[in-house]
Amino acid sequence: MTAEETIKQTIDANDVVLFMKGNKMMPQCGFSSRVAGVLNYMGVDFADVNVLADDGIRQGIKDFSDWPTIPQLYVKGEFVGGCDIITEMTLSGELDQLFEAKGVSFDKDAADKIRDANA
Amino acid sequence: MTRAEKIVERLEAAFAPSVLDVVDESEAHRGHAGFQEGGESHFRVMIEAEAFAGLSRIEKHRAVHGALGRDLVAQIHALALTIRP
Repeated sequence: MTAEETIKQTIDANDVVLFMKGNKMMPQCGFSSRVAGVLNYMGVDFADVNVLADDGIRQGIKDFSDWPTIPQLYVKGEFVGGCDIITEMTLSGELDQLFEAKGVSFDKDAADKIRDANA
Repeated sequence: MTRAEKIVERLEAAFAPSVLDVVDESEAHRGHAGFQEGGESHFRVMIEAEAFAGLSRIEKHRAVHGALGRDLVAQIHALALTIRP
């Protein structure tokens, strides 16, 4: 299977996928860590793909989305953004709206706590 | 020309921003992955320009990536972007 096929299959098979450096339990980059931390804290069930474990995926995901940086978040097969965008959307409540619209379950109280802590 | 100067030059040429702030945060990442001796590996950019009005978040970021160019983006280990409006 090519890297592109692997990526396609992964985002088709999982509602929420984070391509990141390291994994959700042990991120290896501050930006990946921040996004994984938000999703973990919000109780979102997501698949994590460690791009450092596979050079083909590491380059392939950048080509796939035409986006030069890691992490990259996908919800229901759709590219949502990287660390800056996810951070902004978390604080504005847009991430909650996206999860609600896409039928992804998450802990609304936890999301509110993130916003309270960063108000 | 330093990378920071290139970032400023390319973003000014592309967007004529009303606010542009480019900060080299590399020193804060000394010893971490991607740190390069001499700095210029980790940047934080704040840009405000009329050109971004009406674009989605992803479109805004793509516009900045495009203006910086693949060569410069590939040299930078980390780029944190705040884009307004």
